[in-house]
Amino acid sequence: MQASSLQNCNVMNGDGNATEGRSSAFVVSARKRKLQQITRTAGESTLFLIAAFVAVIVLFIFYFVARDAVPFFEIRGFREFFTDTRWYPADEPPVFGALSIIYGSLMVTVGSALIAIPMGVAAAICLSDVLPFSVRQYVKPVIEMLAAIPSVAFGFFALVIFAPMLQNHGGSILMWSWWIMATPLILLMIVVGAELVSSRIEDDRRRKVAQRVLLVVMGALALLILILVGFRLRSIEIMTGTNALNVSIILSFMALPTIVSVAEDALQAVGRDLREGSYALGATRAETIIKTILPAASSGILAGVILGIMRALGETMVVWMASGNSAHIPEPWYNYLDSVRTLTATIAGDMGEADQVTGSARFHVLFAMGLLLLVISFVSNFISERIVVRQRKILSGQ
Amino acid sequence: MNLGTRKLLDRSFTALGISSIVIMGLMLLVVLVPIVSNGIGAIVFKSTIEHRKMLYHEFNRGDKADLQREIASSDASRKEIYRMLDTFDAELSKMDETRQQEYREKFEQVKNSLRALLGPIPGDEEPALARLKYGQTRWEKAEEKLHELLFEKKWDYSNPDEMAKEYEVSRSASFEGTSLVRLFPYVEKNIDRLLQPEWTFYWGFITDSSVDAHFFGGIWPEIQGTLFLAVGAMLFAFPLGVIGAIYFTEYARDGFLTSLLRSANSTLAGVPSIVFGLFGLTFFINTLKVSESKSVLAGSLTLAIMILPTIIRSSEEAILAVPKTYKEASLGLGSTKWNTIIKVILPAALPGILTGGVLSLGRAAGETAPIIFTAAVSVGSAIGLADVLSSPTPALSWNIYNLASEHEAAAEIRHVQYGMVLALMTIVTLLNMSAIVLRARISKKLKG
Repeated sequence: MQASSLQNCNVMNGDGNATEGRSSAFVVSARKRKLQQITRTAGESTLFLIAAFVAVIVLFIFYFVARDAVPFFEIRGFREFFTDTRWYPADEPPVFGALSIIYGSLMVTVGSALIAIPMGVAAAICLSDVLPFSVRQYVKPVIEMLAAIPSVAFGFFALVIFAPMLQNHGGSILMWSWWIMATPLILLMIVVGAELVSSRIEDDRRRKVAQRVLLVVMGALALLILILVGFRLRSIEIMTGTNALNVSIILSFMALPTIVSVAEDALQAVGRDLREGSYALGATRAETIIKTILPAASSGILAGVILGIMRALGETMVVWMASGNSAHIPEPWYNYLDSVRTLTATIAGDMGEADQVTGSARFHVLFAMGLLLLVISFVSNFISERIVVRQRKILSGQ
Repeated sequence: MNLGTRKLLDRSFTALGISSIVIMGLMLLVVLVPIVSNGIGAIVFKSTIEHRKMLYHEFNRGDKADLQREIASSDASRKEIYRMLDTFDAELSKMDETRQQEYREKFEQVKNSLRALLGPIPGDEEPALARLKYGQTRWEKAEEKLHELLFEKKWDYSNPDEMAKEYEVSRSASFEGTSLVRLFPYVEKNIDRLLQPEWTFYWGFITDSSVDAHFFGGIWPEIQGTLFLAVGAMLFAFPLGVIGAIYFTEYARDGFLTSLLRSANSTLAGVPSIVFGLFGLTFFINTLKVSESKSVLAGSLTLAIMILPTIIRSSEEAILAVPKTYKEASLGLGSTKWNTIIKVILPAALPGILTGGVLSLGRAAGETAPIIFTAAVSVGSAIGLADVLSSPTPALSWNIYNLASEHEAAAEIRHVQYGMVLALMTIVTLLNMSAIVLRARISKKLKG
């Protein structure tokens, strides 16, 4: 045991120094040394090969998905796929226009991003700068739980619980969420607006009067808007609960954990000195965060947002179960209460019928959609990675 | 801006952040509460005598003497119903033709409602499907069926501008003046004796296989399939991932090649899960032909690729978290690099590596999209360990989708769906919990 460890020591000392040892135990014959060197190189290259396995897999995924996607474009060309909105793969003759499906993917992704980005960034700021450490410990598991819920469970919730709720009480749900979200925001805007406008008046007493008048007038106006819009929303009848709105909401909650954790990391990476400098200049916490920390962390947050959006775009089960799966562009184009169909759901749903006819355009069109998703995810991943690298460089002052 | 407004803005900014976190917590509750409460209902519920009959016939479970006593007392009160049906049948044949036609259809409806509630009527042919052999096995479903027996659903189309409205007509009113009118109050009054409800803890929901496409029985084949798939994925991904992480942390030199490998890793992490399914189909099944068609092996391989980047990343973090002094001490004592890794670094990093592994196991168990084309079938019995190389398996995640959206009577078996979702979430949550506990123990240990 001892002898062997001594030998090892020699090997470690470097390539040519093994013979320097004074005691005979240190002497290793040239052949043995060579053998050890070969073993080491072989071991290291095995390790490298295994690590390179991931890269090989990525190449394989691109190659094999593309290999099955190319025949579609050979048979049908590019134009139909990207410009036609009619999707009738089973008809005779078939039409493979994927535009409405691509649009559906875009729609639910944008919808979920509109909900997830403000919430996710606000939650990340709250986690990194507002909440005390003791509370943070309890919030983190909540986010982890949200990330751990399987997508099919979210899909089941969207289909079985949320969709009937939307269909039966859609109008009042919309009205109440409008009131709950808009009331504080509008109140705040009024107060700040009145303050900003009246601050131009020099005279103290006249300023106060002007402020009050402004408050009353704007308050009455806001109340009117709140009530009118609320009742307008309430009169909306949602024809089907499985629609783009439902999916967007659920997807936003699936994208949130990614956005929050990456954005929080980015915010934490902005050091204490920037914060302390800003406080020392007399800024409040909100001003510090908005004017100093957010700009410094913006690229990291952007990277998180991209990753979160990608999760929403690539999600299959929720959209398959709860989007309604009807391949058309909603009328009007921004109508989130209509059913849509997405790329992922089409791949999942049509394969069952298409893999009976391997080799047909109907089979290969699904791979074309897969390739499209793959390319989008590759590009956005690349962008977010570049962004993170750049931020790290900027922050480390290079 | 004056100080007051700035403070107000500051506070509302804080409120915005806190409210978004509160919304996230509420959302978690909104999702979890109905799933957990309804899911428990798949195991603990008020069962009727039909449930006990089903258990006895399909699984040979339960006490025969007790069951026969119950059946006898239930049949005593059922006899009266069937006698009324016979009486009415006789009465019907004596009526004139127009009235006969009018009542015949309604009578069939009543009989069908009774079949749904209590099982086949004496004199019926022995039904082939298990769902028709028994009445309602669950009390809350029985109450619904009872309501359907007592009230007929009709649609009001009188206003062409609006959607048709639903309204109900009491059936006893539509049989006014016939002998059948006594049937409805009789069933309503004696429903307890007819069905003999009692609270049951049906542990078999977890360990039984399903009877007649999940109408009765449990979800063991699905649970087993999920475990096979997730553990199989780990068998492939874990060793590869850990070795990859060792290379990245201990051997890789900063350079073009390493950064390329790293970005390959993050690219793989970002690939949409359905694309993994496509890749599994075209590569493992159509090209490598690891199996004839879908199989657990192909599904596990696909899942393994999916979780590989996560395992590499978490193992890397765990290895980097081992204090440098450990490594230096080991090298200083004359150990080789490889020896240091095996004997010092890996044991110290093991809890962290395991945490990552357990989390990935949970992810593999919960994923659906990659196994749709590679491993999952809707209906099937539990497969043996010997069959994993060649046969597909039912799995929780796939069957939740299948039962909720494609089953012919999805609304009838909501309790099974909820039970499956709860089972899946329990598996995933348990894995996550153990990961959290592991992590807490590591941080304690590292603090000393």
